[in-house]
Amino acid sequence: MTKSNLLLAALGRLFCLAPLRTSFELGVDSHVNLRVISKEIVSAISAFIFATTVAYASEPAETSIHAQNNAEAPTNSPLKGQPQNQSPALNQAQASNQKLGDSPTVQFHAWGGSAQVNGYIQWVGQQVSDQYNITLNHVKLADTSDAVSRVLAEKAAGNNNQGSVNLIWINGENFAAMKRHDLLLKDWANSIPNFALTNPSRNPAMTTDFGIATDGQEAPWGKASMVFYYNNQFVENPPLNIHELLAFAKQYPGRFTYPLPNDYLGISFLKYAAIALNQDHQDLLYKPVTDTALAKITPALYEYLDVLHPLMYKQGDYMLRQASQLQRLMGTGELLLAFSFTAAEIPSAVNRFDLPKSIRTYAMEDGSLANVHFIGITYNTENIAAAKQVVNFLLSPQAQAKKQQLAVWGDDSVLDFSMLTAHDKALFKPISHHDSALNKEKTLPLFAEPHSSWTDAIRQAWFDRYGERF
Amino acid sequence: MSVLISVHSRTQWLRNMTLFQRITLSVRALLILLLSLPVLAGLVGVVLPAFGYFPALDAHNFTFDVFGRLFAIDGMGKMMLLSFFTGLIATLLSVASAFLLLAVFYHSSYLNKIQTWLSPLLVLPHAAAAIALLFVLSPSGFFSSIVTNVSNILSSIGVSDAISVDGASTLLPPTWAFPYDSYGISIIIALALKELPFVFLMAVSVMSQPQIKRKFDGYFKSATALGYSPVTVFFKAIFPIVYPQVRLPLLAVLAYATANVEIPLLSGPNNPPTLAVAVVQWFNHVDLSMRFQASSAALLQVAVTLVAISVWIVGEKVAKHAQARFYSNGHRHTGQTLSAIVAYAIVAIYTLLILSIIISTLLWSFATFWQFPAFLPEGLTLLHWQTTLAALAEPFNNTVLLAVLVSGFSVIVATLALEAESLNGNSGNIGGNRHKSKPSSYFNGWAGALLSVTLFLPLLVPGVAFLYGLVWFQLAYFNEAVWFHLFISHLVYVLPYVFISLAVAYRKFDPRYIQVAYGMGKTPWQVFVKIKLPLLFAPMLVAFALGLAISFSQYLPTLLSTGGRIATVTTEAVAAASGSSARLTAVYVIVQTLMPLLGFILAWWLPTICFNPMGRYTLLQTRKSKL
Repeated sequence: MTKSNLLLAALGRLFCLAPLRTSFELGVDSHVNLRVISKEIVSAISAFIFATTVAYASEPAETSIHAQNNAEAPTNSPLKGQPQNQSPALNQAQASNQKLGDSPTVQFHAWGGSAQVNGYIQWVGQQVSDQYNITLNHVKLADTSDAVSRVLAEKAAGNNNQGSVNLIWINGENFAAMKRHDLLLKDWANSIPNFALTNPSRNPAMTTDFGIATDGQEAPWGKASMVFYYNNQFVENPPLNIHELLAFAKQYPGRFTYPLPNDYLGISFLKYAAIALNQDHQDLLYKPVTDTALAKITPALYEYLDVLHPLMYKQGDYMLRQASQLQRLMGTGELLLAFSFTAAEIPSAVNRFDLPKSIRTYAMEDGSLANVHFIGITYNTENIAAAKQVVNFLLSPQAQAKKQQLAVWGDDSVLDFSMLTAHDKALFKPISHHDSALNKEKTLPLFAEPHSSWTDAIRQAWFDRYGERF
Repeated sequence: MSVLISVHSRTQWLRNMTLFQRITLSVRALLILLLSLPVLAGLVGVVLPAFGYFPALDAHNFTFDVFGRLFAIDGMGKMMLLSFFTGLIATLLSVASAFLLLAVFYHSSYLNKIQTWLSPLLVLPHAAAAIALLFVLSPSGFFSSIVTNVSNILSSIGVSDAISVDGASTLLPPTWAFPYDSYGISIIIALALKELPFVFLMAVSVMSQPQIKRKFDGYFKSATALGYSPVTVFFKAIFPIVYPQVRLPLLAVLAYATANVEIPLLSGPNNPPTLAVAVVQWFNHVDLSMRFQASSAALLQVAVTLVAISVWIVGEKVAKHAQARFYSNGHRHTGQTLSAIVAYAIVAIYTLLILSIIISTLLWSFATFWQFPAFLPEGLTLLHWQTTLAALAEPFNNTVLLAVLVSGFSVIVATLALEAESLNGNSGNIGGNRHKSKPSSYFNGWAGALLSVTLFLPLLVPGVAFLYGLVWFQLAYFNEAVWFHLFISHLVYVLPYVFISLAVAYRKFDPRYIQVAYGMGKTPWQVFVKIKLPLLFAPMLVAFALGLAISFSQYLPTLLSTGGRIATVTTEAVAAASGSSARLTAVYVIVQTLMPLLGFILAWWLPTICFNPMGRYTLLQTRKSKL
């Protein structure tokens, strides 16, 4: 495919100039038009150069993908048929694209600071161009809020149907801001066929973004969830829920700890404990915090921590400042159980000899705190069908499995394995099995992040009770 | 009337000077400004918020509320005590050990050996020392594995019961208190480890000055002839003369020990931490209103340091009083054997500590997996070095560029300022020899005193107290000039050391060369360029290397003045120390130690080939003779 297609796309961009030129001939205010034209020419030429570069640059990557596809030949062949069993609406969009003979361009605004992520988005671009004739342009952001403010500016300027941002990679604060200002397309996520594969009814994390309901304005793309890891040279049965964790601490005193709540992982552990220990009124944690709600949540947490602390590393007197020190103490054997938000870092630490080969990674059975990141479509997107098509592809087992490979990105899939067919599940089998890596085929419940106001409240409550520690 | 005459004579005196001499005088004034302005401005920037005045946060009223709130914090007293006692005890330990070593090994061939072995440790940055000590002291460290192995062997031959938890745990590190112990013992060990070489070498350098050495040799001979044992001679005759000479540097050590951040941050407790660490945490807090609390705590830190210094001075007075009879009691062999035993014990402990630190750090930097009680890792790899060196390229360039700029500038300023000192034929005037200054010499009076106070100002005022205020000024007035801020905040620490180091050389300089040159009608500029510079090339390089070492090791000044925008090897190393890989940290420690060492090796090697026509020849000869 690709090289010729991309060149065609670029040529198509050049031809777009034609109507503009006529307007120039007819126009009265030629001065302004001249500027518009020159801008258009520059952008067309740069698009052409970009497309050509991408076409040539992507060639080696492509061959490696082919090599990989060959390796996965048996699982890959049924996939080719996948676009056929998709919803009629999307097929229609695709058909209309092909009928028109032009490829719609989708502007994907995403943080561009990671070579791995950029490489993956480039792969996605090739796939959607191959399969649906959509040109995906990755606008690499240094800060996602730049794109948010651009959409806001477009809304203020009255550009309500030709926005420069189509897809946007967001969560947390940025989503809250976009939702508050009505910058996102509403109620579309549920109509994406592959969204059902995330099993949203069982995984509330798929429809809650830091305690704010997504209301179908964004679709989950990937997640980071809290995983625990232990040294199985000394520990046979790791604790599988928050209560077993306490029993573990009693059995192995001094071999578990968590970082101070100033640290991201430290506060995450407290959130996990707060949710897991308050099964009866979990819903409080998904609303803005109030004094009464805090008074209901903290007693169970305090009661638990009061017992846990003396059983921790250094009797809980010295607590780590940074989460990264957990891994270091696991490496020397001073700790036997620790946790992380990036499951992919554990096998790679074993490969770097920082952790022993006897490390095993697992997820808690009562629930893992999960932090989901999403894709939103802006309200002023011109070709909504194409944007949805891209999101549907991002949620396909093929794309999600690719993203989860350690060599590609290592970002966790948002799909629920119980919803997948056998051959889709097979896609997720890691190419090279690592003993220390998390077994991702097992599906365990996830805890969504509590409402963002709880972070400060829980942290403050902790410092009030356990003293100012730095 | 006499004032008028003195003013007149002074203007006359200025008029008679050459341009070069005037430049040296203005450089000297510049040096005083360069050192005192940042510190004083920094202090102002901290004092104002401490009393509730911080216009940027809409606080315009002076109050004492900030201090009230500060003292209401739980554990405030413990933080202060921790800072005070760790600093005082560590300094006391290192000073006592250093002088005991001198007493026992002075006039023995071991002195040179100890000096050779301690010198490289002088350049070891504090952060590196603390990190390296973690490898040895931690429950999975070298000492712990010795203990575990010994107890395993004892239990296997049935002498004692194995300490085991659930059977398999002879392979698990014990859960002992070090590091991070709540009494700050780890801090004391790390500080004493680092300060002992400094105090020792400082005293040796004073004692090796030609006039003083000649005097001491005389004392030593006559006292020995009277039957005094060497240790007693040292304590009764030599120590009372050496001590006042190293007193200011010692107070600087004490000030540093009570207020430093790196060592308690890396090996100290955090429930609560030392005061200095708390100050840094509060200043770095996202909530800007914490700045009030941080500023008042920084002032409190100054108070803690002042109290520590006062206690030290009172201690000196008491000791002097108590010793009055000791000097004249006529005992010939006071504590001879005991001193020797303790001194050998100190040497043994120190050697053991340093060797185990060096070996474990080296091993960690090449280690594949290292199962706990084993003395060696399972295998060796270059992986960690490759990873670190790739990541270190930019910080390394930053570090070297900055250090060369700062240290080069310092050497120039210090040389010219010292040149101004020698205008009146009086070479060098810091520390204790102020009584020598003639009344006729204008600068050696109050200006000389001002200079020595200024030199020690940045070393005596805790960094946490003035650096934040300085940063505040820097941000308020020239936000973008990051490199300039970095330069100034390093200069404040580098310049005093470079000056002190060069001043010693200037003081040792044989004035007869200059007298001969002047006699031949040469101008001061010609004398400076043709005679002093070539002859002082070696000490200038040593001062330059010392400046490099000091600049390499700065953590807090770098971090604060750049806001993390410019990374240096030290900031990266401290960050890595709290990172996930002990192996990468070990590589950082080694790089951090090698960098200043290379500077000193260059300082030793370059003078043998530059300005020394015989040098190259001699070097070749020695090499040939070795072959």
